[in-house]
Amino acid sequence: MNFEQIKGILFDAAKQAGLTEYDVYYQLSTDVSATALNREPNAFSFGTEGGVTFRCALEGKIGAASTQCIEQEELTALVPRAMANALLVDADEEPIFYAPTKETAYGQVSAVREPLPEAVLLRRVANDLQAHIYQATPLAADGTETAAGATEVTVSLANAKGLSLSHTAAMRYAYAEAVINADGEPSFGVGTTGNLDNTEEIAKKAVEDALARLGGKPVKTGKYSVVFSAKQVRALFSTFGSIFSGKAAMQGLSLLKGKEGTVVASPLLTVYDDPFYEGNTMQMPFDAEGVPTYKKALIEKGVLKTLLYDLTTAKKTGNVSTGNAGRASYASPVSIRSYCRHIAAGDATLDELFATMQNGLYITEMKGLHAGCDAVTGDFSIECAGFLIKDGKKETPVKAFTVAGNFFELMKNIARVGAEVEGGTCGFSMGAAPALLINDLSVAGESE
Amino acid sequence: MIEKTLLSELLSVAMSTGGDFAEVFAQREHTTGIQFVSGKVESILDQVISGVGIRVFLGTKTYYASTSNTTRDGLLACAAAVAGAVGEGSGHAVFDLTPEAIANRHTVKHYPDDVQTREKSDLLREACMAATEADARISQVKGAFSDSDRAILVANTEGLCREDRKIRTRIAVSAVASAAGENQSGFYGPGGGVGIELFESVSPRSIGVRAAHQAITNLTAAYCPAGTMTVAIENGFGGVIFHEACGHSLEATSVGIGASQMAGKLGQQIANAKVTAIDDGTIVGGWGSYNIDDEGQPATKNVLIENGILKNYMVDRLGARRLGLPMTGCGRRQDYTFEPTSRMTNTFISNGPDKNEDIIASMEYGLYAKEMGGGSVNPLTGEFNFAVKEGYIVRNGKICEPVRGAALIGTGADILQDIDMVGQNLKTGQGVCGSSSGSVPTDVGQPLIRVKKITVGGR
Repeated sequence: MNFEQIKGILFDAAKQAGLTEYDVYYQLSTDVSATALNREPNAFSFGTEGGVTFRCALEGKIGAASTQCIEQEELTALVPRAMANALLVDADEEPIFYAPTKETAYGQVSAVREPLPEAVLLRRVANDLQAHIYQATPLAADGTETAAGATEVTVSLANAKGLSLSHTAAMRYAYAEAVINADGEPSFGVGTTGNLDNTEEIAKKAVEDALARLGGKPVKTGKYSVVFSAKQVRALFSTFGSIFSGKAAMQGLSLLKGKEGTVVASPLLTVYDDPFYEGNTMQMPFDAEGVPTYKKALIEKGVLKTLLYDLTTAKKTGNVSTGNAGRASYASPVSIRSYCRHIAAGDATLDELFATMQNGLYITEMKGLHAGCDAVTGDFSIECAGFLIKDGKKETPVKAFTVAGNFFELMKNIARVGAEVEGGTCGFSMGAAPALLINDLSVAGESE
Repeated sequence: MIEKTLLSELLSVAMSTGGDFAEVFAQREHTTGIQFVSGKVESILDQVISGVGIRVFLGTKTYYASTSNTTRDGLLACAAAVAGAVGEGSGHAVFDLTPEAIANRHTVKHYPDDVQTREKSDLLREACMAATEADARISQVKGAFSDSDRAILVANTEGLCREDRKIRTRIAVSAVASAAGENQSGFYGPGGGVGIELFESVSPRSIGVRAAHQAITNLTAAYCPAGTMTVAIENGFGGVIFHEACGHSLEATSVGIGASQMAGKLGQQIANAKVTAIDDGTIVGGWGSYNIDDEGQPATKNVLIENGILKNYMVDRLGARRLGLPMTGCGRRQDYTFEPTSRMTNTFISNGPDKNEDIIASMEYGLYAKEMGGGSVNPLTGEFNFAVKEGYIVRNGKICEPVRGAALIGTGADILQDIDMVGQNLKTGQGVCGSSSGSVPTDVGQPLIRVKKITVGGR
């Protein structure tokens, strides 16, 4: 069944039930991947997953129901299920379904959508990555895993107010985790890329990463200046992403509540939310409610410009939707999402950041962010690895220590911003960021 | 869920290109999720998850295809997709399936679908309001009720054909306390492999009160100091230390490919002799329990470490091929879109020889970690981390002022030797574990334990 047929069945059932406000959200994704392990092809997988959610307004409240079983009977049953659920919600605002007007315009996606790659290409990439790793170092060891894959997602949305949208986005990726063993000391390194082309480069990167970590030692407990690598900055801002949610603020779960127009960060920090970020193949022209998306500054030179809103949160707080309604999965309730969180470039090369810092730590890995960070309080304490910086120069690898602080203070304590912005995925979202120098963070490692 | 003749046909198609083993996994699951915030039921998730995954082995190579299209054509296309990935050819083997009833160990009193959603939202409201009313400084309470009724079918070319049904229920409450422009949070989320009767033994009120208490405690707490110290970790979710520090490194997923610090160590003393650790998927009504795993194997009680000696790994079907060890009934997956792999179920350190009061009394200075959060590990190096959600400084054998914001880090091999006291109040706590086959419910557990020396990430 295609979206038009699904929509037809659900719209008919909704009208028969006497409903006037409703929408249908359908998501179909296809994933394909090949992995190789210890020089050999290892696994291949192919999956298609579709799911539909029907939402309706009843007695001033919204109810929803979802299914993956796309058959007439199951689809029709969504309508009474959603109606029953609506009656259980305690709403304090009339539900809103987006009504497009003649003026409604959706942004142009610049990403070229490549077709899902053939299995044979994915296998070759995964195998080539293995070969490059084992060629690059005689220390390569069991556990070395490589992968190549692609995902294609189609989101379709239609409502009783005449909205009818569909968009397909796709991404490709290759991944190399090199495991090495140097005289009994295991180490690993990772290389990733958003295409299937530069296998040799990411294999090399994984090996260099693994070699560079060898001999890592803990650092002494104390206060340190820290340079976070671009990748770690992306990960940090992604983990604390919910502080920019207008809904979290409305619910008292973000300390940025009521801070619009005020200074919340160093004047060196500018952060954008950009659904059309160049280099992000998963660009998105409309949000989960059908509202057009657009690029906006969240923080501009340290001043909080806006939080992110969907239609309901915007109405409750006297704002307008910023096109940031999202669903964690096709079945999840509408909430706030961000697109590519893009931190603007500063003026310093990595070496200049080290030179400015003189003595401190360069953090290239953070682990357990989901557990070690609390977006409600801003507190974090995270297991890290990286390099010691002495007299402005990168020295020995360090590991097995934690860096602790508060994210809201960290944003204010940015001392210098890297010039090179690096894009990439973090979890399921896309981010782009430069390296950042932060002064005065607490480090726990070896006793004094 | 799928007729026997069609199952046989799918296996034949999947095997037609040279595979040596094939398996069909079908799932149909109904989940309800209720979100409560600001004193109101905010939204209800009501979802049917339905689909099939077909897997083929050729030696230790695996091929997998999954689909939510469970029509006959959709399933045959899925089987053809996996066969096409294995190779070329057209075998016509016929597989005779022997449907086998599985004894149900987990009796459910009130199935989720027999209970009105309103009753569930009332339970959640009671839990959340108890948190709100616990203290004037509680500024926000968020709660989630979730239940699932999951039916699975597994059929494979060895003739296995088994079905199971698994019920799970949980309420989780997050409370926020605020004062002077600062927020602190508290969390409690008990669950079980049972129906709505869960709340006959765990009162919704007690869930909210506990979350609120933690948030208020943290509001009055100073930051935890940083450094290396002796730490006592309380029972229940404190067991996350074993889960992260050692559990993942004992999964065939990492052991079987040589990417675990525990590979090749069976029979060796890897932990302090006071440590006995068990993964037990058979616990009646356990959050991580089931009758059969997602590969159709019966759950087992698997002694991993006995008096410090490594006895076994957690071995799924692919792991059994790689390691030459028997399966332990631990092949799990979030849903049909994932290939199964070896996972933990209910994993805990057993009661030990030490009295709990002696453990605290033995500490001149250190940290008492009363409630733990989640964490992560790299099985290759054994380096792990996890968060302390509620902690107190111990001075001269007495629990003193609360401290907040700490993480504990270390390596599994060291920590297992450094667990030098094991108490006697074993209890489990409920979590959701994320790994290569997705997120699965797992119990962690232990009695109060003492770790001689660990890095405390404070500030």
